[in-house]
Amino acid sequence: MKNVLTIMRKEFARFFKDKRLVLGTLILPGVLIFAVYTLMGSAFNDSTQTYTVKVVHSSSAFVQMFETGDGGESVFSFEEAEEEDADAICESIRSGDVDALVVLPENFDAILAGGQFLPSGSAPEIQIFYDSTETSSYSAYNAIASVLTAFESAYGSLYSINFTGGGDLTSAQEASAEYYAMLLPFLVLVFLYSGCMGIAPESIAGEKERGTIATLLVTPIRRSELVVGKILSLSALSVLSAVSSFIGTFLSLPKLMGQGYGDAFAAYSVGQYFALFAVMITAVLLIVTLISILSSLARSVKEATTYAVPLMILVMLVGVSSMFFGAGGAAWPVFLIPVYNIVQVMAEIFSLRFSVVHFLITVASNLVYVVLLVLLLAKMFNNEKIIFNK
Amino acid sequence: MKDSIVAENIYKTFTLSAKQRKIEKSASGRKVALDGLSFSAREGEIYGLLGPNGAGKTTMLRILATLIRADRGDAYIMGHSVTKEAEKVRSCIGFLTSELKLEDFFTPDYLFDFFGRLRGMDEDAIALRKRTLFSKFGIDLFSQVKVGDLSTGMKQKVSLAVSIIHDPAVIIFDEPTNGLDVLTAKVVTDFLSEMKEQGKTIIVSTHIFSLVEKLCDRVGVIIGGKMAAEGTIEEVCCGKTLEDAFFDIYKRTVQGA
Ligand SMILES: Nc1ncnc2c1ncn2[C@@H]1O[C@H](COP(=O)(O)OP(=O)(O)OP(=O)(O)O)[C@@H](O)[C@H]1O
Ligand SMILES: [Mg+2]
Repeated sequence: MKNVLTIMRKEFARFFKDKRLVLGTLILPGVLIFAVYTLMGSAFNDSTQTYTVKVVHSSSAFVQMFETGDGGESVFSFEEAEEEDADAICESIRSGDVDALVVLPENFDAILAGGQFLPSGSAPEIQIFYDSTETSSYSAYNAIASVLTAFESAYGSLYSINFTGGGDLTSAQEASAEYYAMLLPFLVLVFLYSGCMGIAPESIAGEKERGTIATLLVTPIRRSELVVGKILSLSALSVLSAVSSFIGTFLSLPKLMGQGYGDAFAAYSVGQYFALFAVMITAVLLIVTLISILSSLARSVKEATTYAVPLMILVMLVGVSSMFFGAGGAAWPVFLIPVYNIVQVMAEIFSLRFSVVHFLITVASNLVYVVLLVLLLAKMFNNEKIIFNK
Repeated sequence: MKDSIVAENIYKTFTLSAKQRKIEKSASGRKVALDGLSFSAREGEIYGLLGPNGAGKTTMLRILATLIRADRGDAYIMGHSVTKEAEKVRSCIGFLTSELKLEDFFTPDYLFDFFGRLRGMDEDAIALRKRTLFSKFGIDLFSQVKVGDLSTGMKQKVSLAVSIIHDPAVIIFDEPTNGLDVLTAKVVTDFLSEMKEQGKTIIVSTHIFSLVEKLCDRVGVIIGGKMAAEGTIEEVCCGKTLEDAFFDIYKRTVQGA
């Protein structure tokens, strides 16, 4: 055990004292992903777009709220509508012809101007209808809601926005959740894999190539201690690298979709974040041991990288599988399939169909696979043809 | 006197790749590197394995260091079997060869501590040993310089210091003076003599006759993976120079085969 810690300490020292490695695997991925996604996001949601918004009981005070201070053209085009057309308008919102429907109280101008006395809790309501699966509808909603909320306090709470009265015509949570469910497992796998690739071949094939592993092999430590020490430290470093990429993605995805940060974060509970993290850890362990096995077969870092390509393609294919097969509803034996189970559980979490049983089966079975693979790796380290084949 | 190193009837073959097979002209696809090699080195002596290129010297020393396994036969170091008690063997030997590299990225100071810990030493013992060995080999000034930035000679000295950090009873040294200038080579041979004075058992491999004559108490001549002659320098030489004696032995062995 002490030897395992000594090995781990050395691996960490090797990593953290090397500015190039730290920059390349910890800092750059997160920063780059954030920058690229945010740029892509602002290109998608360009501000020249105008939103078509129907307003029931339209009022001049309401329209004024959205006029830009510099006299420029407002991005909103408000059209008056009748209360009885509401259902038809909701249909147009779903089909994308109209971006949002705002239902104001009948005498909105008078309420604001007159400042008539209202008992607290009975403020007249504003309802907003939108469809979060339509990007432009969702941004329109966000913009209107934030303007109204800002004025709400300025006017001394003469009205209140009734978010439940109006609402998302799909269901706010599920809609954005669907998007994450498809994209995120794939992205997470890509980040985990590239994190491992940046570290594991260098530490195993690299040490073989440079002949430094032989120096370790003539010390009295057991081969298994060396293997466990390497796997644990490589996993920890890969997790750090993955966390960096993940933070970058998480912060930029809402931008990419043109929605506020808050919604994205609020959709998942603490427990689900924990589950996500636990699944990511098992994924890292699995990927690190697989790449380590390939790396110990290789004679050089270059060879290890070549060996890892087919594995990468396989992992990526499994990663996009949730886009084809969908998430959730799979029978429990499916969660025994390594890597695929990770994708499925992540998809379930992101699509808000989290199942504790599936999660536990996944974590447990993956840990079993990792232990078996580590045993295999220790056996390989004992084989001179593999570890000492220069 | 006790035998610290004993090799009994060691066989070792290597599987050849297709390319190697052509070069070696071997039909079976296997290369016999050691063909029933036996010898023993006594406590407190320097034993030399002398042989031409490809004789199997390095292979034998790697088996003693538990880096590779013999197909048949066994060897014992301080009574521990290299096949059955590899960890015990490794804790009482210091193995040195130019193939065992230190990570370029770390300083001698760091590596010394690291290998000391892997050898199960406590921090005080490591610090004490570091002071002794670093001043002995003149590493002090370079203790904070990354290994990658050191000269070949200094690297070799650091490797030497690291490999005997635990003050091993048996020292195994493959080609001790290969690639070293006369000054560094002298540091190394002086060091080996000193270790012998301290009662350590040392086995070196070489194809340099002068080194054997200067350093070794006994010598084993390996040709084609077999022991062709063994004994004290006088016994093997039979009054001739070691070089002439070697050619005689070589002729006899090759013609006899
Ligand atoms: N891993 C290996 N695979 C195939 N053949 C090998 C391997 N290692 C050694 N050999 C062969 O075994 C024989 C003995 O090699 P060894 O390195 O022990 O010789 P040596 O006496 O140390 O020679 P040198 O003086 O050149 O260092 C050689 O013919 C070599 O080609
Ligand atoms: Mg050799």
